[in-house]
Amino acid sequence: MKKLFIIFGIISFLFVIKPMLGLNKSTDIFIDDNSVSTEQVDTSKGEGVYEGAFDGLKQFYNYTGFANATGGNLIMILIGIIFIYLGIKYDYEPLLLIPIGAGVMIGNIPFVAGNQTGIYEAGSVLNYLYFGVVKGIYPPLIFLGIGAMTDFSSLIANPKLMLLGAAAQIGVFATFLGALYLGFNLPEAGAIGIIGGADGPTAIFLSSKLANGINILPDGTTVKNLIGPIAIAAYSYMALVPVIQPPIMRLLISKEDRKIRMKPPRAVSQKEKMIFPIAALLLTTFISPSALPLLGMLFFGNLLKESGRTERLADTARTKLIDIVTILLGVTVGASTQADIFITKDSLLIFGLGAISFVIATMGGLLFAKLMNLFLKGDNKINPLIGAAGVSAVPDSARVVHAEALKSDPHNYLLMHAMAPNVSGVIGSAIAAGIILSFLG
Amino acid sequence: MILYVDLNMDQISEGYVILITGLFIVFSSLVTLSLLFKYGIPFMLYIYKIITKRKDKKIKDIALEVDEDFTGEVVAAISTAIHMYLNEQHDKENPILTIKQAKKSYSPWSSKIYGTHNRL
Repeated sequence: MKKLFIIFGIISFLFVIKPMLGLNKSTDIFIDDNSVSTEQVDTSKGEGVYEGAFDGLKQFYNYTGFANATGGNLIMILIGIIFIYLGIKYDYEPLLLIPIGAGVMIGNIPFVAGNQTGIYEAGSVLNYLYFGVVKGIYPPLIFLGIGAMTDFSSLIANPKLMLLGAAAQIGVFATFLGALYLGFNLPEAGAIGIIGGADGPTAIFLSSKLANGINILPDGTTVKNLIGPIAIAAYSYMALVPVIQPPIMRLLISKEDRKIRMKPPRAVSQKEKMIFPIAALLLTTFISPSALPLLGMLFFGNLLKESGRTERLADTARTKLIDIVTILLGVTVGASTQADIFITKDSLLIFGLGAISFVIATMGGLLFAKLMNLFLKGDNKINPLIGAAGVSAVPDSARVVHAEALKSDPHNYLLMHAMAPNVSGVIGSAIAAGIILSFLG
Repeated sequence: MILYVDLNMDQISEGYVILITGLFIVFSSLVTLSLLFKYGIPFMLYIYKIITKRKDKKIKDIALEVDEDFTGEVVAAISTAIHMYLNEQHDKENPILTIKQAKKSYSPWSSKIYGTHNRL
């Protein structure tokens, strides 16, 4: 080992010393006053070397981030750092915010265009990775993993809770209308609306199909590329669920209603769990075939989990595969926020609409739960808080519901009940995405 | 300008169409799914039981038995207990801890270096 270090040290020393030797030679002669002729020649040579070096440095400087930085780049880098900070300090979805934050920094390092560096330059490595976002490849793979993770048994035990997942989708369609009124055209509005579905992969899937900057509208203009803003808005509001939802819950649900205890869900047999993905796959995709990539993979993943024979595949899907895709998706979505494309008025509007759609979706779920309670009697009554879990954001919104219920009654455990509208919210938002796609795609 | 407004109005009316049909379809599909699981699946399981049981058995003998006391909460408690049991077994690990020297296997990638300082 010692020998290795010595050999390596000598080689590196030689490399360092080589240009210095060359320079020394010329300076030696430069200092030497004896021969004038050589002096002149060598002075010019020396100046040439200096000038060249200086030009080189200047050129190098022109290629650095310091020379090309714009205000937008710096703002976005700051936002990236804030994302990472939020993920680490407050534990808001760190698995998403940290890759996205790092991606935002990567995407906003200033560079000279034309060297296949940036994410939007054809042929760059980042561009190849971004391909999976633009073509909607990553979201179905994420859904496969989610399917292999999710236990639908609370939903099977209490199928009526599925309606809460549908009720929260009102946020999608309300935002869609809002975006239309703000002057976005139909496909763009559809892609913006899906932020209300509170489902990152679905939002990316739909925006990559509708607002990808490639499609041409009937009136001849090209749609804007809104994948970056939509994905960032969807993921950041998903991370902010613990901040956004509790005030709305307290506003809409009375103290007594918050204390309602639900009867424990019945045990679900393995057969029912196996039938669920098959039946749900057939039914939902026959209704909304455009959502096939999402729902197909979701229920396929769930079948892998529940069949009991493919534990290896399910295990890979819910651990390694989803991790790999999350890394790629997070970084590339983050990097797609290159300042000159991201910092626009549209992005600000999208962020505003996203917040509103989250609020509307939460309200829709809560109010529909109250409405359902009017028709339910005795211990069949549901705690209206679980309506808020209808905005997918699995499993964060279910956890928020659980925590909120514990505040008013420390022995009321709603987590299992809240998972039912939570997972049906995923199904609901995927169906909604399919419908919007079939209308506008 | 007028054209733009017209176009915009068209878009908004189409937006309402999408709003109504979309919500309707989302609701109806999830309602169908929930109805299927509320009534369809128990019925199918019941039929399955009849098919797999001997024919001479009466239908009322093989009615679906639902144990009211065995709820999801019980399942959760049992599975948590098993999970904790399996994951907190560190106390029962093999107490003999020794450092074993790992033998380096030969690799052509490092063979030259290996030759120069192979004096373990």
